Amino acid sequence: MGGLSDIFPLLLTSSLWQTTLLLAVLLLLPALGGVISERSGVVNIAMEGMMLTGAFFAVWADLNWHNAWLAALVAVIAGGLMALIHGVVSIRFRADQIVSGIAINIFAAGLTVYLVRTIYGLQDVGHVGQSELLPNWNVPVLSTIPFLGKVLFQQNVIVYVALILLVLVEIVLFRTQLGLRIRAVGEHPQAADTAGLNVYLIRYGAVVTSGLLSGLAGALLAIGVSNTFVPNMTDGRGYIALAAMIFGKWTPRGAFVACLIFGLGEAIYANNSTIHVSQYLLSMLPYLLTLIVLAGVVGRSTPPAADGIPYAPGSE
Amino acid sequence: MPIASVLFAFLVGAIIVAVTRGNPLSAYAGLICGGFGIACTQGENPALQISNTIVFMIPLITAGVAVALPFRAGLFNIGAEGQLLAGAMACTALGIKLHDWPAVILLPTVLVGGMLAGAFWAGIAGVLKATVGAHEVVTTIMLNYVAQWLLRYLIIGGPLQLAAGTSKSLPIGKGAELATILPNDNSLIIFDLPASVYRVHTGLVIAVIAAAVFAILLWRTSLGYEIRAAGQSQKAARYAGVSVRRTIIVTMLIAGAFSGLAGAVQIAGVDHNLTDKYFSDTTGFDAIAVALLGLGSAVGIVLAALLFGALHSGGSVMQADAGISSSLVLVLQALILFSIAANFLNAIKLRIPGLGQAPSAPAPAGVGAALMTEAASAPPEQAGGT
Amino acid sequence: MVRSQLRFLALVGAVLMIVAACGSTSSGSTAKQVKVGLVTDVGGLNDKSFNHLAYVGLQRAIADFNVKGDVTESKTGDDYVPNLTNFASKGYDLVIGVGFLMQEAVGTVSGQFPNVHFAIIDGAGTDASGKDLAHANVESLFFKEQDAGAMVGVIAGMLEKDKKAPGNTNVISAVGGVSIPPVNHYIAGYKWAATMEDPGIKVLVGYSNDFTDPAKCKSVAQSQIGAKSEILFQVAGGCGLGVLQAAGQAKVYSIGVDADQKDADPSVIASALKKVDVATYTAIKNVVNNQFQSGALTFSIANDGAGYSLDNLQLPSDIQAELDKVQAAIKAGTMTPPADIPA
Repeated sequence: MGGLSDIFPLLLTSSLWQTTLLLAVLLLLPALGGVISERSGVVNIAMEGMMLTGAFFAVWADLNWHNAWLAALVAVIAGGLMALIHGVVSIRFRADQIVSGIAINIFAAGLTVYLVRTIYGLQDVGHVGQSELLPNWNVPVLSTIPFLGKVLFQQNVIVYVALILLVLVEIVLFRTQLGLRIRAVGEHPQAADTAGLNVYLIRYGAVVTSGLLSGLAGALLAIGVSNTFVPNMTDGRGYIALAAMIFGKWTPRGAFVACLIFGLGEAIYANNSTIHVSQYLLSMLPYLLTLIVLAGVVGRSTPPAADGIPYAPGSE
Repeated sequence: MPIASVLFAFLVGAIIVAVTRGNPLSAYAGLICGGFGIACTQGENPALQISNTIVFMIPLITAGVAVALPFRAGLFNIGAEGQLLAGAMACTALGIKLHDWPAVILLPTVLVGGMLAGAFWAGIAGVLKATVGAHEVVTTIMLNYVAQWLLRYLIIGGPLQLAAGTSKSLPIGKGAELATILPNDNSLIIFDLPASVYRVHTGLVIAVIAAAVFAILLWRTSLGYEIRAAGQSQKAARYAGVSVRRTIIVTMLIAGAFSGLAGAVQIAGVDHNLTDKYFSDTTGFDAIAVALLGLGSAVGIVLAALLFGALHSGGSVMQADAGISSSLVLVLQALILFSIAANFLNAIKLRIPGLGQAPSAPAPAGVGAALMTEAASAPPEQAGGT
Repeated sequence: MVRSQLRFLALVGAVLMIVAACGSTSSGSTAKQVKVGLVTDVGGLNDKSFNHLAYVGLQRAIADFNVKGDVTESKTGDDYVPNLTNFASKGYDLVIGVGFLMQEAVGTVSGQFPNVHFAIIDGAGTDASGKDLAHANVESLFFKEQDAGAMVGVIAGMLEKDKKAPGNTNVISAVGGVSIPPVNHYIAGYKWAATMEDPGIKVLVGYSNDFTDPAKCKSVAQSQIGAKSEILFQVAGGCGLGVLQAAGQAKVYSIGVDADQKDADPSVIASALKKVDVATYTAIKNVVNNQFQSGALTFSIANDGAGYSLDNLQLPSDIQAELDKVQAAIKAGTMTPPADIPA
């Protein structure tokens, strides 16, 4: 591939990795949500729809109330409500969870465009002012570290939030009582129920949480990275997050690694103004990479509660 | 087929339209007119509407089958779109390179080529699943994206490009085209319009045959038995001597062949070339909804494909006549799916003794199980349940 | 089982028909009201550029000429032919297709309905090989996007030459959506004009391969900014808004496309205009006045069909003078921006 020699020097620049982390976080938030939901036993492929919903409501709220934090909150709640629909249909009505997930994605796509049309007519949705976006923030002192400072500490505030959440979810899920309960409900709901856990409540909580996280990702996309709503602006990120989650074997840290790989691919591709390589082959790169890794290294990726494979709590 | 679910969805849709100050009656009038050619009030030609619906329906049948078959084996083929693209690309490439060949050889060649390409595309996922256990949802999603970019590579600056600066391919040879059912003649007037506007093509026959092959394969062959057994319980299947690995691979290969055929038929019957619109094509994803709505049976899939084709066709008329954004169609599709999914409740409740919990294993086992319990005990024609 | 389902279906169908008949408004035919149908491309009417502009043109025509105007958005490329055919089959007087992706569809449908007028924006009615079928009922509305691109290229080039740019790095850039003709025409004019004004200038060109996700275009823009570009021309529709935003955050300049994008971001100093609304309006006006002309109608600087707007920057007077000079030269034909991106 011709441009390989162009890519190597690029990999040494801090701005590449800075972009990579940002793009990875856009995937990480929904992936974390997916991990939580599926660990509790509810299949969730609706990240795309929840993220899109969050994006729309973030912009709508910000244009109305001119406050990025409030808008982010609205987006988070909107994502949560979307997830609640999925939860009710899946848990209360015991619908097939894949169908419900697909339906959410279609619903969100149609609903957001429909709302754009009804609220804004055929005018521009409008642009959020610079000062009303979720801001970037340079962490004092740490951001002055050469190379790493720019990559890790000169980011959007939500990136920091996401990284904290990553650690939090990893700890909660695998080292706390709550996490134990969530996983128990996902692995052996009958036994958990007998032991006194409220399976319904825990599952609802997990599903709604996944919606909250996806909604936050939507807010980051719409009023952190961008400043307006474009129909279908999530552009498949929710599905990539789903893949990242499975790639990462339903663990937060595994998902994070996958998100970094995808973010890296996208970040490299963004440099096609200066790198001379076939755009299309370069675009394929992250996906081919994943396939290769799946074939060789990652191996068997089983969801929670796979056929009779015992899962010893706390042994991860 | 769960008709009540469809009606429920339309009811909620009507409420949404009414709440946002639209006129639900004229919206649905537009949908029905565009979908079925019934009750058209603004001069639409019924035959034309029906013809459009059928054209939209054709790929959904074959692709729907491509999703439904792996469901039976407990696999979730979310990669139908990528396989469809593979088939479309192969058909186009062959149709261009061999454009001088006579139809009697070329047409079967491009269709078979499409099937092989689709089978290969799905086969990758199947092999990865069977050998290293790679989850087919991930691999097929990846393959979908690879197919999309391969498409762009081929037609923008690549070997199949029509001319510099365009984003489409050369046209396929005449021999590779599927004939339309009515003559493609601008001057012959049928039903008040030139015959060429009715684009229904012989791909319809191929699609229906595909659905029949699917049903026969699943219910009347030993392979079909193995597929259903593997979907029901891998352990039990192994016990019965079924090689689960082999079944997974073969199932994906066949499913990919169906998707690839759907793509090839689209090129041969409708487009006659490959354009950038395939990059954002959603047929493979709609096919998932079609397979689910059709409850995995051949007849169900055809009916579901008809419904989705009608909605697609109806959406445009709805917008032109009633001014309602065609995104309402997406909302309706989602609502239909929701209510279908909630209907599974009845079937499952009857078969899982005493449990008050949802199935704990997430997809694909969950999906396969749902379809299996529905249909395992009934011959295909009545697998639609209530 | 199946028979009862069919009976139920028939009953439902009957009920729905009655409902439909009651619900629809009967369009009483007014005397010879011209009926216009607009079929948009997949970007939809909220695309913030040419689909929207076409709609604006239609609305103006409705107001001025009292035509009946209906719109259908194509959701996918599979909708082009059915959407065009729907309008044509209903006896509309003018059916307008927006976008060069619709060329083949317009070619096909116009052949089937010789008594209906067709107009297509950015293309001609062609066959599958791209050959213009030159049907007598098709009016092709071409745009010389390179003219508009050239005007903003002059601005960019002059700013660099006069050292009035944010950092005077002598590097500018363009972000294209996908490498398709309308996009590349803009970029071609831009690069040509900028290089003409400032021969030492470096013009980077990148593609996002996307028209809907602002984040993707923002990354491309940021990479260009990292390579020292300080005037970024977005040619990527909804995705391109990310370019404008990136420029704003990096405190450099950006240029909008198709419509006046002054309000999209404070960094937008100018926009390259493609007056699709004017073209649409003109096509409708021609039909209303029975002056429909088949063949190509080109909208360029010369007939005010392409142009530029000055946005959030007070332009030094020498640049304005140069703009006027170049504009006059293009109008007169002594200067011709290229359609393909110069090397």
